[in-house]
Amino acid sequence: MNVRSQVSMVFHLDKCIGCHTCSIACKNIWTDRKGTEYMWWNNVETKPGTGFPTRWEDQERYKGGWEKKNGDLELKSQNKSSALFNIFHNPNQPTLDDYYEPWTYDYQNLFNAPEGADQPTAKPISMITGEYINVEAGPNWDDDLGGSPVYAQNDPNLESLTPEQREQLFATERLVFFYFPRICNHCLNPACVAACPSGALYKRGEDGIVLIDQKRCRGWRACVAACPYKKTYFNWSTGKSEKCILCYPRLETGQAPACFHSCVGRIRYLGVLLYDAARIEEVAKLPDDQLIEGQRSLILDPFDPEVIAGARANGIHDSVVESAQKSPVYQFVKVWKLALPPHLEYRTFPMLFYVPPMSPVMASKEGGVIDHVSGDLFHDIEQSRVPVAYLAKLLGAGQENKVRYALRKQKAVRWYRRALTVGDVTMEVSSRMLAEADCSSEEAEAIYRLTSLCTFEDRFVIPPMHREEAIQMMEDPLEHKASAGFGFVSGPQRGM
Amino acid sequence: MKSSYGLRNRGTAETKPFLCSRVPLVIAALAVLLFCANANSWGQDAAAFFKQNCTSCHTIGGGRLTGPDLKDVTTRKDRAWFVQFLQSPKAIIDSGDPYAAKLQQEARGVVMPNIANLSPQQAQALLDMIAAESKLPRSQFAGMQISDRPLTAQDVAKGKLVFLGEQRLSGGGPACMSCHTMKGLTLLGGGRLGPDLTRVYERLLGRKGLAAWLSSPASPTMSPVFKDHAIQPDEILSLVALFEDSAKKGGQDDTTSLLNFFLLGVGGMVLGLISLDALWKTRLRGVRRSMVHKDDRGEG
Repeated sequence: MNVRSQVSMVFHLDKCIGCHTCSIACKNIWTDRKGTEYMWWNNVETKPGTGFPTRWEDQERYKGGWEKKNGDLELKSQNKSSALFNIFHNPNQPTLDDYYEPWTYDYQNLFNAPEGADQPTAKPISMITGEYINVEAGPNWDDDLGGSPVYAQNDPNLESLTPEQREQLFATERLVFFYFPRICNHCLNPACVAACPSGALYKRGEDGIVLIDQKRCRGWRACVAACPYKKTYFNWSTGKSEKCILCYPRLETGQAPACFHSCVGRIRYLGVLLYDAARIEEVAKLPDDQLIEGQRSLILDPFDPEVIAGARANGIHDSVVESAQKSPVYQFVKVWKLALPPHLEYRTFPMLFYVPPMSPVMASKEGGVIDHVSGDLFHDIEQSRVPVAYLAKLLGAGQENKVRYALRKQKAVRWYRRALTVGDVTMEVSSRMLAEADCSSEEAEAIYRLTSLCTFEDRFVIPPMHREEAIQMMEDPLEHKASAGFGFVSGPQRGM
Repeated sequence: MKSSYGLRNRGTAETKPFLCSRVPLVIAALAVLLFCANANSWGQDAAAFFKQNCTSCHTIGGGRLTGPDLKDVTTRKDRAWFVQFLQSPKAIIDSGDPYAAKLQQEARGVVMPNIANLSPQQAQALLDMIAAESKLPRSQFAGMQISDRPLTAQDVAKGKLVFLGEQRLSGGGPACMSCHTMKGLTLLGGGRLGPDLTRVYERLLGRKGLAAWLSSPASPTMSPVFKDHAIQPDEILSLVALFEDSAKKGGQDDTTSLLNFFLLGVGGMVLGLISLDALWKTRLRGVRRSMVHKDDRGEG
């Protein structure tokens, strides 16, 4: 056992209202610089939809993530020889058009236009070329199913559905969508780190945040191709790649990352998980249907004395273990099994987990009259507007039973609360449902509290980052003791 | 302190009178030595200089090439004029000197090139050397004695091999092709550093002028290259045969090879791009545009 700690996340999709506040918070802090205009370290997608970049889940074309070959794990985008061969031209790059060409507007025209018969307009200008452009795509172009005949129907996850299911998904009064906010998953087995020819990417030892060293990065863009979630981006101005840094400067000072902090729907949870690094490779080679259980088995019980001893042996501070014990992520992922990783079949082991969304109430249609009042308010999971098969493709590595388990438990909690507060459901029925959903009434209460009544401190259990210990691994903090001044980070330039 | 002062003083006291008394003498001796060396070396080098710089246009008793035969040239005009002319031929011609104008006319307009840094002493030495050579029954500068025999197709073929460098120059010089081109040799022609040699036979006034040029090329580019790698007489004959043949065919300067070269470049680039395209055939070519436009077509 090789115990490591990882700052992990849960996004509760049932609570997401798709307001994009997270994206804006992130944009304003990190990606409003030249060269980063098109980057969205945090973005919110509408599902079904093609996302950003367009159809990023289509790994037949984008070649992201890992694949099993001859019992071994290999990157889909490259091997050693092809990486060398393609070093000056990476053939698996998304084009700018697949992201979108960032633009602003010619606002000056509103003030400076010569007097005419019509109101002046502010035409869009490319933020890359400075020319007027005809805007054809944006980072959330298909927001709320906009242009759904083109975008939603090309969602790669729809492949899991039967033709009837696909047709129903877009039928009148059955139409459905939900939001899917995405940031870097800070994976346990990151393909971007494995692909980098310069060794510029690394997973931070103390908290598992995946970072790109801007001094080492040479802009080969192998990470851009290798990341199946397309969450590393190339900065065309600096010639280096950049990605979500999980706001580590904020985490180190005890604040939640900006997108978490600003979340209006309070869908985001953050906390430490302890995991067993020794078994990652073994688990990554499991067949698809065992991956979810495999990843769960990597996550260790922070109350287990053996794990605590292992953590201590690996230099993980007791306060971090304590933090892991309070982690809401541990509850959602390991204890309640409500949260599932996105596209685990890419085998990068994302450490961002999603609670699958409950679908809206189904309407019934009789003789041309559409009845929105459903007799069965908490309808059967199988009758959901979003087919379980679709959610399983997105969040369950194809395993419908894992998604069904999470949905059923959420539904049982709702019935349980209904029985308690409204009383139109008997406690007997709700108890039977809880039992069917493998949930005790205490657990239901805890789920309810962490879902609906959660405070800031409940959602964000930020571990003490102990930078002083992390720095000791790299340099001697006493280096400058008893010497005058603090020295120079890089040598001063003197002389001619 | 005192002793060291005294020591230094004694040292200067010993050396100073020695230098004071002997400096003018030493300088004089050095000057004489230098002058002698200079004069001596030019006495010997005048012939070498002449061979290197003059024989491509002049002979002594060998008849006219581009420039006049220099046998007894010193009797044709006074020495001072020649010294001036040698130092700057163009200045004399420009000054409207009638004799210089006549010389230029005889040379069909060709102006004798300026010899850089030629001192009056060197000019005198050259004239002395020419006068001495003129008295000999047969001067070493009577010109290249190239065979008069009719040139055959074999000579032309051999000349071509020499030009192309397929047969190396026995003196070790580089093949003509490295700097020159000529019509009808190869598809891409030769180098473009030197002039096109298609009609050089006419420009250098036939077999004799051409042979004189080849025996000691005088241009600033060729001269240092061939100084120590002279072209041998049999090779000169073959080359002359080649140039004569080319001139007889009456070709214009070679322009097709330039076009061929350009076309080859364009073709090579196109082929390169096609092969790169094939090499990266499976590259990601953009997802969004094809998706959106496919659906547009499907609807329309």
